[in-house]
Amino acid sequence: MYEERFDKRAFDELRPMEAETGLIANANGSARFRIGNTEAIAAVYGPQEVKPKHFEKVDRGIIVCKYDMMPFSVPDRAKPGFDRRDMEISDVITNALSRAILLKEFPRSMIDVRVYVSQADAGTRCASLTAASMACADAGLPMRDLVAAVAAGKIGDSVCLDLTKEEEDFHEGGATDVPIAFLPSKNEIVLLQLDGKVSREDLKKIIEMGKLGAHKIYELEKKALKRRFSNES
Amino acid sequence: MSIENYDYIREMAEKSIRADGRKENDRRNLVIKTGVINHSDGSAYLELGGTKVLAGVKILPGEPFPDRADEGGLIVNFEASELASNYQSDRIMYSVEVGRVTDRGIRESNLIDMKKLVIEVGKKVLFVYIDIFALNNEGNLLDAANMAALTALLDAKYKVEGSEEKIQLPLNHEKLSISHTFAKIGNTILYDPSLPEENLADARLSIAVSDKVNSMQKGKVGFFTPEEVDYCVGKAFELKHENKTLLMHHTKK
Repeated sequence: MYEERFDKRAFDELRPMEAETGLIANANGSARFRIGNTEAIAAVYGPQEVKPKHFEKVDRGIIVCKYDMMPFSVPDRAKPGFDRRDMEISDVITNALSRAILLKEFPRSMIDVRVYVSQADAGTRCASLTAASMACADAGLPMRDLVAAVAAGKIGDSVCLDLTKEEEDFHEGGATDVPIAFLPSKNEIVLLQLDGKVSREDLKKIIEMGKLGAHKIYELEKKALKRRFSNES
Repeated sequence: MSIENYDYIREMAEKSIRADGRKENDRRNLVIKTGVINHSDGSAYLELGGTKVLAGVKILPGEPFPDRADEGGLIVNFEASELASNYQSDRIMYSVEVGRVTDRGIRESNLIDMKKLVIEVGKKVLFVYIDIFALNNEGNLLDAANMAALTALLDAKYKVEGSEEKIQLPLNHEKLSISHTFAKIGNTILYDPSLPEENLADARLSIAVSDKVNSMQKGKVGFFTPEEVDYCVGKAFELKHENKTLLMHHTKK
């Protein structure tokens, strides 16, 4: 049974969030997104020449996304470098962003998206994707919508939003983790993963809760971008 | 920045004028925050002008090096991460050089009392891992990385087995070896070079000083005369006081 959350949040409550854009001056676009003790920093370089050349597409651009964790982001130490987990997450983030960005506008070019996790307390891929999409918007890329991502799930018998590491590791009754990303104004799911075990009804509830969370994140993203561009003018 | 601007900066440098209005030995504004990474044992976020770095310290048990059975270990890793620049060649060069120079400054000054990090001689000692990430490079990563690493070390606290209380790393504050980087453009020597200054400089010299000179690293193809080296070392000792006060101030509990 899981009746009260470890950090006393309501079951459909997100952790406190922070969003900021434009922190990396060298990049075409950049963003930092923090949710609870999870934080991701993203930088976008491009559109630029495709390398290696054979990845080039004549009718559209491509996205190359790299997700990595800083060694001090986890309780032990993440070995520096790109491992299999990083590869997989990079791939799912690339897929989500490919849907959001109007790639037809950039034939024969490449957009480099780099995301680093500086602090990890579950939900790093979602935080990374949220940061990456803000960085793309900050870079001025034409997009169908921003991406808002959050992990929802089920702990014991309770459907929960925005799981912490402590909750993910909850043993009694097990925990199910569902990272989910929306293009909120289009109501499109662009990233969806699941591990654990839930019934069909519960999954429906989880996705509904994820959607509500995504909309809250979406509002924050828009606010951060507006703040940036109103300061500049 | 275009080639023309480089010419302009070079011409101005000959007259000791800098594009950002600084004097020859002025440092850019330094911003330091500690305790920014909750999974680390000590951490620092540092801005040196537009250059931004993040450093985290982790203190973990491990097997000692066979030739140093009675000492803890120090591992410094610097990444000019892909966030900071779009040029791979820059990143690889900087990663290796900055990491190694920062490591030397901390190691050679004996800042950390390695003998106190032994749990069981020959079997188990503590390793101090310092990981430094460049978030944005606007010149002088060497000093930024060094100061971020030192601040993170000053901030570091760890638990010993069998005790709940966190203790500070055994540091000798007299041995805080602070890096000072100078760029030589023509005959002018500039402290804390910006990225354009660093790029067009003929030569670069980084000097880490505590009560002694602990490490030096000359970069780029140009040269320094012995008099110029002595001048830089003198300046480093002069500038050290203010920089050290700043670092200590930010980590005072």
